Amino acid sequence: MNGKIIHTVCLLLSLCLLSFSNNQKQKPTNPGTVKITFKNTVKGNPLELNTGNYINPFGETYTVSKFKYYISNIFLVKGKVVSFSCEYPFEKPECYHLVDESKPESLQFSFPVIAGNYDSIRFMLGVDSLHNVSGAQTGALDPLNDMFWTWNSGYVMAKLEGKSPQSKIINNKLEFHIGGFMGEHNVLKNITLNFPQDKLLEVKEGKTTEIIIEADIDTWWQQPNEIKIAEHAVCSMPGALAKKIADNYCKMFRIKEIIN
Amino acid sequence: MKTKIIISLCLITILSALFIGAADKTPIAFADGKLPDYIEFKIPDGWPKPPINIFAKNKLSEQGFQLGKKLFYDTRLSVDGNISCANCHQQFAAFATYDHDFSHGLNDQHTTRNAPALFNLAWMTRYHWDGGVNHIEVQPLSPLTSPMEMGETLEHVLAKLKKDSAYPKMFKAAFGTEEINSQRMLKALAQFTGSIVSSNSKYDKVLRGEAKFTYSEENGYKLFKEKCAGCHKEPLFTDNNFRNNGLEINTVLNDYGRMKITGDPKDSLKFKVPSLRNVAVSFPYMHDGRFQSLGGVIEHYRNGIVTTQPTLDPLLVNKFTITNAQKYELIYFLNTLTDTTVTKNPRFAK
Ligand code: HEC
Ligand code: HEC
Repeated sequence: MNGKIIHTVCLLLSLCLLSFSNNQKQKPTNPGTVKITFKNTVKGNPLELNTGNYINPFGETYTVSKFKYYISNIFLVKGKVVSFSCEYPFEKPECYHLVDESKPESLQFSFPVIAGNYDSIRFMLGVDSLHNVSGAQTGALDPLNDMFWTWNSGYVMAKLEGKSPQSKIINNKLEFHIGGFMGEHNVLKNITLNFPQDKLLEVKEGKTTEIIIEADIDTWWQQPNEIKIAEHAVCSMPGALAKKIADNYCKMFRIKEIIN
Repeated sequence: MKTKIIISLCLITILSALFIGAADKTPIAFADGKLPDYIEFKIPDGWPKPPINIFAKNKLSEQGFQLGKKLFYDTRLSVDGNISCANCHQQFAAFATYDHDFSHGLNDQHTTRNAPALFNLAWMTRYHWDGGVNHIEVQPLSPLTSPMEMGETLEHVLAKLKKDSAYPKMFKAAFGTEEINSQRMLKALAQFTGSIVSSNSKYDKVLRGEAKFTYSEENGYKLFKEKCAGCHKEPLFTDNNFRNNGLEINTVLNDYGRMKITGDPKDSLKFKVPSLRNVAVSFPYMHDGRFQSLGGVIEHYRNGIVTTQPTLDPLLVNKFTITNAQKYELIYFLNTLTDTTVTKNPRFAK
């Protein structure tokens, strides 16, 4: 009798502890690798920094010199099963990615995932509010990356800079620095991209599966909010305009291809 | 017998589980097994606990503090090599800028606000007059990169530190390896500035029964508790809130304070309530340094409050009556808040 109780208590305890330490590690037991590649485009054509001339839906022309955004809190979903890209709750610097068109190596990254089939990928466009208020960070979140506001602490979640003859700002500047993580100024976007019905993501043990995601700058200008360069060429702080632009750009992603 | 086996098996799993857990939590490997000398941040007796522990993820150590101090006094943190943090935050003025309404930065340009004194920062959750900075560690990014202050880029500052003969060793002593990065630099600065505590003025000694107020100081203290302590709350002498104390807007700067950060008209003309500790040595006063003397400040509270501003603090809506005698008693009391353990302490000196 006594032995049985000890047995049960012990078993429960070790199970608890084991699952606890497992949770902490979140290293999938039989992992495959998922590689994500971002292809930045304008109306489906590859973005060409500085040299490409583009026209927005209002006939305004523009060039792009900088295009950067944060991707974080990534996980894959199959029904009720979730596989995190990174140790939950996403505290380590390597859980954050800054996609920067000018740095080809930043357009791709990989992480281990439990083998199996998945029907969608979810991620945050931006940096979760916790990491906006937790002091000095490293990696993609290092303030060196020029994505941190020093006078009003917080990350610029997405940045689009360039020029446009329609801009009424000095030097025809076009400058969208979109951020804000609190209350009504929150621009954080949780994005779900479903994989095509006929082509689920198959993660196989020891193999790499690739997801190619296209981001289209053409979505920044409308639906639901009309953003005309002649009226708004600069957005440099959290607020109503930033929210409007974020409500547009949260639809910029689509699954371009899955290479199982 | 069977039980024994089960128990030992259990123990092994438990121990190994614990071990895995523990190994995961070690933040940084200290190469030679030589840990820095950690120090405890002491909260003065009877004081409230800081709302957040600024050292929770930045363990305070002697080596971290010394590195932070060296950085604080190092003029190489500015682009022209002339300006350190200490240029604007002078120890004898309780780390405010002595006798300047606006601090001088690069090429003698002026900042647009008065440099606040630096102490008891560990009790703040929002920094700067408008609270725009949300963590002590990220605060230095503002002066470092502001073209009017130190005008540097982080890349350059870090490159300069890496070339120095002393810094790599100091970073190693504080953080385990010679790696110099922005996070470590900022954490070290926070260890220095966050360690400055003012809790040993005459006022504190009186409360601890180690000294006695004079008759005038005592009267001043009574009046203070009645008229001022609603915002300048003891023992920090600030409630660290944002309030409008009825200053006329400076039409050159058009500084609307907290509203710049929140975008909310209800925050128009609200500024962080400054601590009044060491106030006798940190003149001039207010966010724009408009008053040269404590007499001038009290004159404001008794006659100068602009009552037409909709955001004026309710505590100031009814006019104060302060007699001339009371005015001087208040000043005598405010003088008891000067704390030489901040202004003259060699531990915080260059
Ligand atoms: C050119 C002058 C200048 C220099 C150099 C300077 N500061 Fe400041 N400091 C200021 C001013 C002005 C403010 C107030 C800013 C505001 O409220 O907008 C301030 C505010 C602060 C605060 C916030 C205090 C509070 O009560 O909210 C801290 C902390 C601080 N400085 C630390 C530093 C450190 C560390 C350095 C060096 C890396 C530094 N300062 C360099 C002028 C300066
Ligand atoms: C309604 C809240 C409130 C009350 C009551 C109040 N103050 Fe203030 N005090 C403030 C605020 C807010 C500031 C900063 C204002 C600014 O710079 O725009 C301030 C600034 C000051 C300063 C300048 C400190 C510095 O370092 O620049 C002094 C001195 C001061 N108050 C003294 C007093 C005295 C003495 C009384 C009582 C007669 C008093 N205050 C009552 C809110 C208050």
